[in-house]
Amino acid sequence: MYGARLLGPLLTSLTLIACSGESTSDDALQRVRDAGVLRWGADVQGGAPYIYEDPDNEGKVKGFEVDLAEALAAELGVKAEFVQNDWSALVPSLERGTFDIVMNGLEVTPARTGRVLFTRPYYVFASRLMARRDDPSVTADLDSVKGKRVGTLTNSFTADQLLAKGIEPVYYEGTDEPYQDLIAGRIDAVFHDDIIAGRYGEYRPELRVVGDFKDGFYAIATQKTDKSLHDAVDAALEKLIQSGRLEEILREEKIWNDRQLGLTAWSEADQRRLLGEATVSTLRWHHIVTFIEAAGVTLVLSFLAMAIAIPLGLFLAVCRLYGGGVVSRLATAYVEIYRGTPVLLQLYVLYYGLADVIKLDAFSAAVIGLGMNYAAYEAEVYRAGIQAVPRGQMEAALSLGMKTPLALRRVILPQGFRLALPSVTNDFIALLKDSSLVSVITVVELTKRMTITAVDVRSWMIPGALCALLYFVMSYPLSLFARRLEARLARS
Amino acid sequence: MIEVKALSKAYGPRTVLDRVSLAFQPGQVVSLIGPSGGGKSTLLRCLNGLESFDGGEITIVGEKLVPGGAQRNKKALAAIRCKVGMVFQQWNLFAHRTAVGNIIEAPVHVKGLTVAAATERAHALLTRVGLGHRADAYPHEMSGGEQQRVAIARALAMDPVALLLDEPTSALDPERVGEVLDVLTGLAGGGLTMLVVTHEMRFAREVSDRVLVLHGGSVIEDGPPGEVLVRPQHERTRAFLGLDRQARAEPG
Repeated sequence: MYGARLLGPLLTSLTLIACSGESTSDDALQRVRDAGVLRWGADVQGGAPYIYEDPDNEGKVKGFEVDLAEALAAELGVKAEFVQNDWSALVPSLERGTFDIVMNGLEVTPARTGRVLFTRPYYVFASRLMARRDDPSVTADLDSVKGKRVGTLTNSFTADQLLAKGIEPVYYEGTDEPYQDLIAGRIDAVFHDDIIAGRYGEYRPELRVVGDFKDGFYAIATQKTDKSLHDAVDAALEKLIQSGRLEEILREEKIWNDRQLGLTAWSEADQRRLLGEATVSTLRWHHIVTFIEAAGVTLVLSFLAMAIAIPLGLFLAVCRLYGGGVVSRLATAYVEIYRGTPVLLQLYVLYYGLADVIKLDAFSAAVIGLGMNYAAYEAEVYRAGIQAVPRGQMEAALSLGMKTPLALRRVILPQGFRLALPSVTNDFIALLKDSSLVSVITVVELTKRMTITAVDVRSWMIPGALCALLYFVMSYPLSLFARRLEARLARS
Repeated sequence: MIEVKALSKAYGPRTVLDRVSLAFQPGQVVSLIGPSGGGKSTLLRCLNGLESFDGGEITIVGEKLVPGGAQRNKKALAAIRCKVGMVFQQWNLFAHRTAVGNIIEAPVHVKGLTVAAATERAHALLTRVGLGHRADAYPHEMSGGEQQRVAIARALAMDPVALLLDEPTSALDPERVGEVLDVLTGLAGGGLTMLVVTHEMRFAREVSDRVLVLHGGSVIEDGPPGEVLVRPQHERTRAFLGLDRQARAEPG
């Protein structure tokens, strides 16, 4: 098997060199050949059947895209090297040269065709709408989900169709979670590629397929300037299609169907039609409005989370210092566990993990998750503040007949809190930025809005700058406030 | 009014109070003197439960304290601390409150006085300690002597029957000592029982009715200042007061 693989690429590379001689002006293909590897970007989080961790082979990945990448690389006479990258940032990473190609269920959309070069498609999928079995209100007409909550992937082909209908989707980063949330009743429908629906949605007895909508295409992307590499990969793919190797690969993951028959007769006219839909989208006023709205979400989210973190942190600090025995140890355990584990994980557990126990909506889960996490940090800040209050203050309070709780409330905590206030303000600024993590549980705040828009307008520069500006406008006054507080504390 | 029976306390292997027994009459002004580490401050702090003890018992303003610290003496301590005031070496004024704020804190929140009534009283007390003009000053804006006078007014605001003063002038600049001693002298003889741990021999001699000398956890002298400070019985007291040196310097 290996011998045949070695001979094949040798022959193909010879023919490719011969063919590409006339039109190539860039050195991308040469670069790949010199390196001996074709680096391809994908996200394992996308999961089966695209690319996933091999259960039988630790540290290895498998999937139809893994097989396809290896076959393509073999055609080019090099080895395939997988590079893990967050799915939503595949295109910008390609542009900055993290890898040579992207192949990870990347749908040909008008927004993307303006930014990258797409090869011919290697898979044709349908946009599949699913709903709960017991919910007849969702029908085979996208208008039936208007005003409902529909889950999908950010910047996906299906998301674009919803947006075109004026439906603001609920954005997920994973493929399994929307179906869980659909069963849990957090959303009313899921609109996904049929591969995803087939793998993650259709086996669930509570759900039903409502219908298939527009066909979409997965294709391999290279940088705009890497024409030589694009041509070579496209030719290699064509070969794999014609030889039936692609069909084998797709059959292996059980995703071959009649839709794929069209790929065999893919013509230049088909390709032109596919890419021809490219539209030029620029940053418009409505983008700025959505940015400001998202900044509002960030701000409200942060304020509410802090409104939980401050009293809870104070309570924890007092328990730790004065609770004694079990209470003190419990408070310590809370602080250590929440500080010692990633907030991203805590959000996941709270929203998805505990969905059977307590069904929080995404925004509440975000507020509570961030609030409980920051409470651990606040507890430490207050503990330091309280411990910085001289011991004589407590003795004086006790000697005047105050009981410990009264002395804490009237004498110790006000002084400890004052000592902690600059740190509290700094923590709030940190929280403002950490709040971007809640996009993993479908809350669209400022950073998420920025990534959505950046793909939409095919530029990270302006949306990125606008996003940074908004964060700065929110956090700088707090910095000034913290500095003034510190100056006032230093005086007294 | 205050009775101490066989009071014992140790920090690890070091005995701080060794079966001390004492009784104090109402209205007495008592100076506790002696070398550092003799147990003066510890004795004073045991009386209102800021320090726990290992053996013996204390009866104070009708309440009994037993070994075992604040946990076992909750009720007694609540009553004692409302009737027995304490003044500290480092003043310990509440740093986030003004002079008046410091004084009204306990009357309002412990005794349940209205803020208006407590404030009126606070102004009267401040005038009494000569600080009527400093009512709105914060601790960090006042000198040590002023802070200690506010601390005395704060203790008095609870209408105590006894006042415990733990080296009230030791942390003051020499020129500020007088103003605090003047206030204490003014309080003495007004019916208030005062126990003062002090190094001010002039105060001990001129103001107090009785002087105790503590050394090594025991009371080694107990009597009127005229006797204890002039004709001490114990050699250690003579050394502490520097009487031997004086005797050699003035022969005959």
